Amino acid sequence: MKETNLGDFEETLLLIVGILDKEAYAFKIAEEFEAQLERSVSIGAVHSTLKRLGDKGFLTSEMGKPTAQRGGRRKRIYEITGAGQRALKNSRDIKLSLWSQFPAFADLKFNLG
Amino acid sequence: MSLKPPKYAVRFLIFFLKDELQEEVLGDLEEAYYFNIRKYSKNKAKFLYWYQVLNYLRPFAIRNFSTPNLYPVMFRHNLKISYRTLLKNKTFSLINIGGLALGMTVTIFIALWIYDEYSYNANHEHYDRIVQVMRKDISSEGIQINSSQTGGAGVELEETYSNYFEYVAMTFFRPEPILLLQDGEHFREMGYYFQEDIPHILSLNMIQGSRNALENPSNIIISESLASKIFNEENPMGKTISLISGTDLIVQGIFEDLPGNSTFGDAAFFGSMGLIYNEDRPFVWNNYNMKIFALLRENADIEAASRSIKDVMKPYRGVDDDPRELFLLPMKDWHFYATNQYGEQVAGKLIQFIRLYGAIGIFILLIACINFMNLNTSRFQTRGKEVGVRKAIGSVRSEVVVQYLTESLLYTFGAFIISLLLVYMLLPSFNVFAAKEISLPWINPIFWVISIGFGLLVALVAGSYPAVFLSSFNPVQALKGRLRQGKKNERLRQGLVVFQFVISIVLIIGTITIHEQIQYAKNRSMGYQTEGLITMTGSRTVYQNMDLLRTELKNTGAVEEVAFSNYPLTNTLGNNGGFRFPGSSNPIPISFNTIYVSPEYGQTTKFELVAGRDFSRELGNESASIIISESAASAMGLDNPVGQQLISKYDFNDNSSLVFTIVGVIKDMVKGSPFEEPMPLMLFPSSNPMRHMFLRAKSGIPLEIVLSEIEEVFDKVAPEHPFEYAFADNQYLTKFRAEEQTGTLATLFSALAILISCLGLFGLSAFMVTQRVKEIGIRKTLGASVTNLWALLSRDFGILVIIACIISIPIASFVMNIWLQDYEYRIHIYWWIYAIGVISCFLVTMLTVSYHSIKASLLNPVKSLKTE
Repeated sequence: MKETNLGDFEETLLLIVGILDKEAYAFKIAEEFEAQLERSVSIGAVHSTLKRLGDKGFLTSEMGKPTAQRGGRRKRIYEITGAGQRALKNSRDIKLSLWSQFPAFADLKFNLG
Repeated sequence: MSLKPPKYAVRFLIFFLKDELQEEVLGDLEEAYYFNIRKYSKNKAKFLYWYQVLNYLRPFAIRNFSTPNLYPVMFRHNLKISYRTLLKNKTFSLINIGGLALGMTVTIFIALWIYDEYSYNANHEHYDRIVQVMRKDISSEGIQINSSQTGGAGVELEETYSNYFEYVAMTFFRPEPILLLQDGEHFREMGYYFQEDIPHILSLNMIQGSRNALENPSNIIISESLASKIFNEENPMGKTISLISGTDLIVQGIFEDLPGNSTFGDAAFFGSMGLIYNEDRPFVWNNYNMKIFALLRENADIEAASRSIKDVMKPYRGVDDDPRELFLLPMKDWHFYATNQYGEQVAGKLIQFIRLYGAIGIFILLIACINFMNLNTSRFQTRGKEVGVRKAIGSVRSEVVVQYLTESLLYTFGAFIISLLLVYMLLPSFNVFAAKEISLPWINPIFWVISIGFGLLVALVAGSYPAVFLSSFNPVQALKGRLRQGKKNERLRQGLVVFQFVISIVLIIGTITIHEQIQYAKNRSMGYQTEGLITMTGSRTVYQNMDLLRTELKNTGAVEEVAFSNYPLTNTLGNNGGFRFPGSSNPIPISFNTIYVSPEYGQTTKFELVAGRDFSRELGNESASIIISESAASAMGLDNPVGQQLISKYDFNDNSSLVFTIVGVIKDMVKGSPFEEPMPLMLFPSSNPMRHMFLRAKSGIPLEIVLSEIEEVFDKVAPEHPFEYAFADNQYLTKFRAEEQTGTLATLFSALAILISCLGLFGLSAFMVTQRVKEIGIRKTLGASVTNLWALLSRDFGILVIIACIISIPIASFVMNIWLQDYEYRIHIYWWIYAIGVISCFLVTMLTVSYHSIKASLLNPVKSLKTE
């Protein structure tokens, strides 16, 4: 059976891909990850996870336009699929439901629009 | 300043990264690098680049270095193609596999034999610490190495040098089979009387009893096989065995039989030397009748020990005597040790044989490999097409090479299986022939590793040249059928054929020479008649009743004469020098073979008197008379020896006057090696008890009847003596055993060599002829006769064989002259030996080649020209 669970790191990367939109390629994702989470990560680790997400059907990718910055090489741009979005939503719902049952935070209201 | 990312990191990344990921990853990393270089120092950026590269060492990104799915497929494909080629040309395959199998069989046998020789004695637990004490006699004539030692030396080594030796044990220099008695039954067994520590030195595996059993001189330890022979199922421990001399010994130990390929492998028992040497009879310093063996201490250095015992003999030698030094010979050298006249260690006969047979084995295998090469490369036109197709659809050269190597591997593998079967089947006869107990080490993994390595090596040697040659073809020319093999390759192939035949011819000439040499020595006049002469070795009851036995035996009418001597007819033991002529104080500078004989020795052996008279009982006391051989007369420079007086150093033959008179001269008697010059002989008549008995059967009476008559007399006179006898002519023939073995081997080897070479030539000529079928057809239509065509087709091979003959003659003469050097009594290599070798080889080759050329010449040209 195809693995469809979403790990924590995978979930974060999936979100960042969504945030970056047309600029979502490995180096940018890693950079964004470091900026947002203040944790260092190697491009290799990011790339490996992106590949795994692609295998699970949460991401698609295609080669973009070459840029001079990278020695005229093209970059691989990632995009979230419908399944990816559903998996993100599903993950958020489960977490919210869990949060709401946690007594210490039970009366807190989250404004999640 | 270069802003490029670190070169080696990039290279490394490209090396391991999957091709489809290269563009994006290199791009990402470069972008990151430029990003970092703006933010940090250049070094830090470089470092970070490396960090990123190393972080790409993840399963998803690393390229697949092995192509595991492709190789088995290709290998199967190659095997299949090879198998089809094998079936397509059955004669050719049979020749190849058969030749290789024969060559490999010979090589495996030789390897097994060499392994057996090198593992001689290696079964002893302390193999590396066991030594024999040897003696170096230094004189003006050179250095002689001996193993005989004085008892005194043995005692001193044990007492004074115990810091080097854990155990020392002496035994008699010349052990003989000993007669044992048990319950009235006789057993003649080989055994050794040793000092008590020998079981420790040889680390005998005691099945019962302890290694200390010989501390009591009346104990004996026996081998497992002797135990079951004498006592069957009974427990032998504590049982009594009697020696023929009357001494009773108690069995106090059973040891596991030593393997046949060890120095003491023939030992059926070990007794104690304390029976003879004790307080009443101590060891002395002037009788060299011992051998000394020792076990070095674990940390002792053999060189140092050897140096320190060097001068042990010195205090016991006279000031004027030539020095005699002792040294240690480690067990690993016992089997192969040989020295020259300067006392230097040289390659002994056994090593020479190992080298010789090893070389022959390799040569025969090479001949078989050459067949494979030649047969494969000669088919280059048919196979060239195949190569062309392969290359045209995308094979690279290395793949074609692998294809041909697979093919040779398949052939070699088949040949190897066949040769293992052959070895398995022939091993029993080989063991009988070589007098060995070799078995195939089936379960030894090292054997298989070596065997498989050997097979791979053969496959590589045989297959490499065809693979390289056939894979070199240009596909366009190959497919057009325009292949030329080139002068170089043709020359090489011819050279290989010449090489095969040089080896074959050398082996044939060698074989003929060896057989000639044996025949020459066999035809040599012995100086006495062995036919109808029966020899026996007597025990005490026999030699104490010499006269009675003689009378009784002669009374049977079946025995013509009976004689005794103190030495057998089969050796030249018993040597003495120091004789001089009256009036001269200088002794004659040679040593004579001096033996005591009963007066009828001449009539019994039928030696040939050339001057003077034989001994005679009628003349009364003859103790001052001697008979000498012709070579003794000429060595003394006597033209007319009869009547000449000689003075001896010792009182030989109870003759206190020391003066002897030569009464007769006989032809030389060949008692020692028939390949050596005869030893000058002196016969002394004696009536004292002597151990060796000779009986001359009356001619005309069948030997079985003579023997049964003799047995009857023995039953009467010496009933407990086992009736064991030998025929002198058989004994004489055993002297040729080593040479005949070499002769048989040489015959076998040369037959194999010529067979394999001719097999190859047979295949080669077949292909040559098929290539020229059209040419033959055209020539025939234009009027060529069968003889013309035969000459045309056979000429090329004939020339090769003639070249081989020319090359092989000097090689054969060189090698065989070295071999003959070892024999004093030897032939010259006559011209006809070369002629026979060369002509027989030439005829066999021409016959082989002619089969195909005549067949092709007889073919109807209509048929051969029609086909297209």
